[in-house]
Amino acid sequence: MSTTTTASLPIQKSHKIAESLSKRRARVNLIAKSLCFLATGIAVVLLLAILGTLLYLGGSGIHWSVFTNITKPPGSGGGLLNAIVGSLIQTVLGVLIGTPVGLLVGTFLAEYARTSWLGNVVRFVSDVLLSAPSILIGLFIYQLLVAPFGGFSGVAGVAALAVIVIPIVVRTTEDMLTLIPTALREAAVALGAPKWKAIVLICYRAALNGIATGVLLAIARVAGETAPLLFTSLGNLNWSTALNEPMSSLPVTIYQYAGSPFEDWVQLAWVGALLITFGVLFINILARVVLRQRG
Amino acid sequence: MKLASSAIAVALAAISFGAQAQQITGAGSSFAAPIYGKWAEAASAPTGIKLNYQSIGSGAGINQINNRTVDFGASDMPVKADDLKAHNLLQFPTAIGGVVMAVNLPGIEANQIKLTGEILAEIYLGKITKWNDPKLVELNHGVNLPNLAIAPVYRADGSGTTFVFTDYLSMIDPNWKTAVGSSTSVKWPVGNGAKGSEGVAATVHQVKGGIGYVESAYAFQNHLVTTQLRNKAGNFVTPTMEAFSAAASSADWSAVQNFAIDLNDEPGAASWPIESATFVLLPTDAKEPAQSKAVTKLFDWSFSNGNKIATDLLYVPLPVAVQNAIRAAWAAQIKG
Repeated sequence: MSTTTTASLPIQKSHKIAESLSKRRARVNLIAKSLCFLATGIAVVLLLAILGTLLYLGGSGIHWSVFTNITKPPGSGGGLLNAIVGSLIQTVLGVLIGTPVGLLVGTFLAEYARTSWLGNVVRFVSDVLLSAPSILIGLFIYQLLVAPFGGFSGVAGVAALAVIVIPIVVRTTEDMLTLIPTALREAAVALGAPKWKAIVLICYRAALNGIATGVLLAIARVAGETAPLLFTSLGNLNWSTALNEPMSSLPVTIYQYAGSPFEDWVQLAWVGALLITFGVLFINILARVVLRQRG
Repeated sequence: MKLASSAIAVALAAISFGAQAQQITGAGSSFAAPIYGKWAEAASAPTGIKLNYQSIGSGAGINQINNRTVDFGASDMPVKADDLKAHNLLQFPTAIGGVVMAVNLPGIEANQIKLTGEILAEIYLGKITKWNDPKLVELNHGVNLPNLAIAPVYRADGSGTTFVFTDYLSMIDPNWKTAVGSSTSVKWPVGNGAKGSEGVAATVHQVKGGIGYVESAYAFQNHLVTTQLRNKAGNFVTPTMEAFSAAASSADWSAVQNFAIDLNDEPGAASWPIESATFVLLPTDAKEPAQSKAVTKLFDWSFSNGNKIATDLLYVPLPVAVQNAIRAAWAAQIKG
């Protein structure tokens, strides 16, 4: 008896300690959990508030004339056609130019120069570019393509957007390729595939979802960029799809209209914001559906 | 994927090089943007010229025309003669507008309060801090001025309107001239900054006891509570088109070079005291003279046919004699 009581005492004690510990852990867990829920709640409420405001203020201004008329002076019943088309042209071309470059640089970093001195320099420069304020990129292109050629142009706007796209695609491509197990590459090489085939046919395919997400992020980012376009493509009140002339865009038009004293312009600014937001949302959903079907 | 590629195809099919019509690009003064937009809209059919005017601010407009990235620049502050010469620019005014005071006082209606330049200077210098200051009460007999702190609001961004307002205060109050001076942005002794006219209006609207300066067109479009002001003749005037026109017509345009007129504190019984012209800067050595010529054509049409459009938007058209003097300057200096 005595042996069991002496033996059971520390067990009971440790039991108690464990109980109080687990209680303490449960309390901490509860606090952390509720903080998480609170943070999530705040984020969701803010997001819903933004979308709700956009829908409420922008939705009431949606009308056919927004898509059929170009921007006009206040009170003349203008629309956003030239801004929509201008944004589409610049975003599509910017992404088309920036993505291949970013993809190749990302591949270089992940497959050829993972730890080399050059790779580290390129990676550092790319990361700096990623966090550079976009107005700086606008000024850079202004000095490079606007001032020397004596005029604002759609080309300059496209170039500025492409420069923004590159580091985003570099980052995601490198990250996604690095995640792929080396065994996959070894298997491909063991079967006699040259390195380029292993990268293009094996690694790219395995990393497709991630890389596509990076491109989507880039589209979403540049579709809403105002600063790099202010001093490159400037904006155009008239219908113009000429790349060597100033070109209109939705963000710049919103920037100008939202601060104007005219009610119809402010309304159009809200509609423009709604179009960008839901345009990006639509592309996101579409890409997710397409990628899921493939996967 | 099909949708994405067809979107790309549409975008690629839409782009092109080369102009579809003669297009001129101008940039600068945001104050002038509505009237240039309206004029260009009306003039595009009869003149065949399409104007792309971008309101990027007066300072930026001067910069861009100096860099020759646009066909013309626009500024509310006249450029100095030396700078015009250095950059081979011709300067001419296009329209005139007033600057008005907006206030936020409980129970006070538009144009109920009387103010003077001296009092405005003391308010923005921080010497008068209460709405029931004896000086204000003395001016406004019969108005129940509250015991409320005055909250002056100014433009935080570089603005032609700030130049016009501080230039007026410099004329009225020597203390202001030495302590602060006049520019598109100055070091304000007191008050809060706000971006753009909309920012000033919003801040005044939010703060009880607020006061701020905005362009007349902005104040009228947004139904702000404006005030009366005392002019040079000693009369209190309300901000109306008539008062703005009176100031414009009593100015002596022949006395200034490069049309760099100052319309603040003009004589005349009915003149509004804070007023300014907005200017266009046109290169006399343009690489493509046809572009400069097109700019003059557009404004020539606007001077002849655009006065009604201007008054509808609460701008005062230039006197006919000034318009003709500008036409003569074009003929002498703009080739092509």
